[in-house]
Amino acid sequence: MRILRLALLAAGAFLGYAAYRVQVDNLGSFTSPARASAIVIGAWLFLLAGLIAWGRRPSNRLGPLLATAGIALLLRQLRYSHDAALFTVFFVVGELSYWVVAHAVFAYPSGRITDRWERRLVATGYSVTLVFTTAILVVYNPAKPLRFFDPTFRKSLLAVGGFGDAAISLQKVFVVVVWGFLATSAIALLIRRLVTASPRARRLLAPLLVAAIAVGLRAIFESVFTFVERPSVILYDYLFWWQIGAFIALPLALLAGFLRARLARANLGELILELERTQPHEIGNVLRKALRDPTLDVLFPLPEREGFVDATGQAVELPTDGSRAVTHLKHDDEPLAALVHDRSLLDEPKLIDAAGAAARLALENARLHAETRAQLDEVRQSRTRIVTTADEERRRIERDIHDGAQQRLVALALQLRLAQRRLRDGTDPEIERLLAATVDELQFAVDELRELARGVHPAILTEDGLAAALESLVSRTPLPVELEAEEGRLAAPIEATAYFVACEALANIVKHAHASGASIRVQRRNGMLVVEVEDDGVGGAAAENGSGLSGLGDRVEALGGRLRVESRPAGGTRIVGEIPCAS
Amino acid sequence: MCDDSYVSRTALIVDDHAGFRASARILLEDEGFDVVGEAADGRSGIDLARALAPDLVLLDIALPDVSGLDVADTLAGGDSLVVLISSRQPVDFGARLRETEAAGFISKDDLSAETLEELLRGRT
Repeated sequence: MRILRLALLAAGAFLGYAAYRVQVDNLGSFTSPARASAIVIGAWLFLLAGLIAWGRRPSNRLGPLLATAGIALLLRQLRYSHDAALFTVFFVVGELSYWVVAHAVFAYPSGRITDRWERRLVATGYSVTLVFTTAILVVYNPAKPLRFFDPTFRKSLLAVGGFGDAAISLQKVFVVVVWGFLATSAIALLIRRLVTASPRARRLLAPLLVAAIAVGLRAIFESVFTFVERPSVILYDYLFWWQIGAFIALPLALLAGFLRARLARANLGELILELERTQPHEIGNVLRKALRDPTLDVLFPLPEREGFVDATGQAVELPTDGSRAVTHLKHDDEPLAALVHDRSLLDEPKLIDAAGAAARLALENARLHAETRAQLDEVRQSRTRIVTTADEERRRIERDIHDGAQQRLVALALQLRLAQRRLRDGTDPEIERLLAATVDELQFAVDELRELARGVHPAILTEDGLAAALESLVSRTPLPVELEAEEGRLAAPIEATAYFVACEALANIVKHAHASGASIRVQRRNGMLVVEVEDDGVGGAAAENGSGLSGLGDRVEALGGRLRVESRPAGGTRIVGEIPCAS
Repeated sequence: MCDDSYVSRTALIVDDHAGFRASARILLEDEGFDVVGEAADGRSGIDLARALAPDLVLLDIALPDVSGLDVADTLAGGDSLVVLISSRQPVDFGARLRETEAAGFISKDDLSAETLEELLRGRT
């Protein structure tokens, strides 16, 4: 392969010289050494770009295509020769060189034309061009020089006889078809590809814009030279240099774009350095930069869930609609991570592999981190579920006590009171005493049961919410308590947790604080429900393990909140519960 | 025991607990009421109260379908005097009980001829 490339280089050097000489020797005032050189240099650049791309990525057909275009562009110049065979052969096939260029442009960067319309356009270009150039030489009249040619006699080996201006007319139709219709289609297809591309692909496809400009300028040049009888020399000169300039820029742009992936791979060294300074959850940022894809996402497989999570442990679905590509990275046949990225990266599988290999340790680390986060999240959710379920259970128990035993005892007490009333005529004082004692005992039982039910879960909390329940609590507390609570309902677990914070705190104050008064303040602040209970007692309270306060702390934390106890000896106690409330 | 002024009075008992309704019926009848109906839930309580227009409606707050407090508000402005009862205490209801349209509240613990008479005297 290396020999083939060297042979092409040598052929290019020789053909370049030949092409230069043919132009300068045969076209007279139609060309100049500068113009002839520019054309040769343009062709050489295609050849060189092709050989470099070929050497770097031998499996990609773009390199050979560009090299072929370079050789074809040099060979095209041989059509200006006065030798009948050279003129005939290279007039017929020389124009195909532009379609080899178009072929390479549309095959950029993968080396293959994947779009149906682009393939059709290039195939049409090859065949239409061949038909026209052959037909022109068949009707060629040596007495009438062709457009772009000096007036010197040339012989077509295909000519069947002079047909007046037929060949020149055909040449004009050819320009309209190829440089009018087909070139416009090519520009449209190039623009379409740029417009529909993702941002990352668009950067990679930038050389196509150069191609579109080159085609446009060349089309204008051809049209002016074909249809304007005596174009001004200055205009002609301008147009020549503009179009040749774009043409020279095209292979350079294609090569630069093609080698970008190579440059990106060179950046992997930086990637490795940067990974050392990266927190596990930031690995996405580093890979986005290294692979030049701002839309890239790094996901981690969780085998026990049969799904994927992001770096923060949140469950994420892999895209299935084909709008984005997914590359699964493995280590020792074990799934390591999945990269969800722009489809254009699929053209550079080695780049992804290299980045994946460089980031393997960091990815492994990030995967463990994500897994831990996911498990932690699960534990948190399960804790919240336990609290919520326990609350529901408490509500049910309260209702059962009230609707069952309490109702029956209350009804029984009423019945006894009725019996008492009917027996009040003094028939048997002993029975009356017994009945009175029973009624009193029953009343004690009912009161105790009521207190028990309230402690389990006050009905007023379920029915009327936190503010009403706290008002009820304060009215039952044997201590002056100042209450300030916002009206409005919140989720049941939040209301219950806030209530029990206040309830437990008040119970502690009554039992231990020797306070002369207390205050409860409940307000919503920055997405948190804040419950503050303060007293002016002896202080010394702490949320130690096993105490009522520590249990409450667990409960508050289960909802993602926290409980603080600020207590100084003789300085009173302040208990602050903060519970997230989404509203 | 019987006070003539109550003889012609009619009453309706709304409570989902059958045993309690039976006791309440005895209590009311002892007080000279004619218990013209009983209902076990709020909706039938409203229907009966409207159909029978009793002088007194003894209305439990904890009903299986709607709250007795809502039933009292619905019946407000009618011919019947509505007395709310509950096995809970006023403190368990807070502001809602204070704002009710009913004539009064008696805890079931305290329900007796005396408390009922006292409440009715205050209203008539």
